[in-house]
Amino acid sequence: MQNTALDDFRNSLKLKRLEAQKSFQKKFPVAHQFFLEKGLEIGRLREHSAKIISAGALTGTLLLSPPTGSGQLPTPTEIARSVNEFGKKEGDILPQKELIDSLKIMLPEVVRPLARDEEKKIEEIVKNLTNIPAKAGLEGEHLNTSYGYIGAEQHLKRYPGDILENHGPYYKEGIAPGLGAWGYFSKSKANLNEQLIETEKWYAVVQTLYLPDWSKRQPYLRDWYKYRKVMVINTKNGNAVVASIADAGPAAFTGKHFGGSPEVMEYLGGSRYKKGAVLLFFVDDPENKISLGPVKYNDISNYDNTIL
Amino acid sequence: MTTLFYDHLTIIDGLDKKIKKIASSNDEMQELWFYVEELIHHRVLECCLGSLPEEHHDEFLTKFHAMPHDKSLLDYLNLKIGKDVEKLIKTEIKKLSKELLLLNSNKV
Repeated sequence: MQNTALDDFRNSLKLKRLEAQKSFQKKFPVAHQFFLEKGLEIGRLREHSAKIISAGALTGTLLLSPPTGSGQLPTPTEIARSVNEFGKKEGDILPQKELIDSLKIMLPEVVRPLARDEEKKIEEIVKNLTNIPAKAGLEGEHLNTSYGYIGAEQHLKRYPGDILENHGPYYKEGIAPGLGAWGYFSKSKANLNEQLIETEKWYAVVQTLYLPDWSKRQPYLRDWYKYRKVMVINTKNGNAVVASIADAGPAAFTGKHFGGSPEVMEYLGGSRYKKGAVLLFFVDDPENKISLGPVKYNDISNYDNTIL
Repeated sequence: MTTLFYDHLTIIDGLDKKIKKIASSNDEMQELWFYVEELIHHRVLECCLGSLPEEHHDEFLTKFHAMPHDKSLLDYLNLKIGKDVEKLIKTEIKKLSKELLLLNSNKV
């Protein structure tokens, strides 16, 4: 069946795009020529920028605002020691509180891509405090950012005929009318297993579409990212979830960089949590031993509302 | 994250909801996002270059090409234009946002 609404909208957008290209070329021929000579399409500016940021993050030449209190930061060894010795003396703070405090010092005030050395320090702290081997880069792959805003997503259809009523208890966000980037999770309801149910329940969305080499390295990247485990940490309250990547997005013009299923968002920040700053790292779990879902490295989130 | 120095000024509310309603696959959504994105880039660059005296165009383009994420480009533009460029971009994007949200709205 033809999707008329889609075709009409697509055609109108294409027309506007063509007008914009012509207008730019006419008004600014020198700039147009400049981009041509650099081999840079205006529609691909984001990929060009991602390439530069990625190179800069590696070489440490990015112009980045520094974290506010890096001077007061405990070393990873100090943190490891305090975790190992937790409970042995009065006044010990729980790991989640320790993570919140450390992130407050380590992260910049404004959300931005982190330099590799910043990521390495955070990885070590996360590993020490939560016991999850989370890494910003894994097997040579790295997202354009590991620190960004997450937004609430809808449930995804797991098989043909799947409906919202099958996705309790969180119905408020609804179910996406279209399919995720990797289509249905299973061919039919009969083929749906517990693992796939968990995958949809605890899914994350990342901007694979803006990776500088996304189109060049297919189908490898598509397969690599499919259901890849990631750890998502709410940097404000320390709540953390292991999720699996099951969709691509969100669009840059939404102002968000990641997405989370209703379950992910509920655990990260509660029922009214729609957008917030998070860290998103890959989980290094080659033997598939780490379960999807909440990372319960202590229970302070249950009773200490003051940190939320 | 900012991958372009003007990202924080180009957020369009409501458009993604409209796109999700009509696209039946992620590929279709990405295609529409790409067109919107290109429109945003054109409008922002037109806005910057249109306000910037021509003698600075080359310098701006070179800086932009080398560090498209660098927010100090806004300071550079403010200085050379003598006006609040963030305000100019926001106004332009508000206009574009309205155009896009109204596009085929009777059919969506």
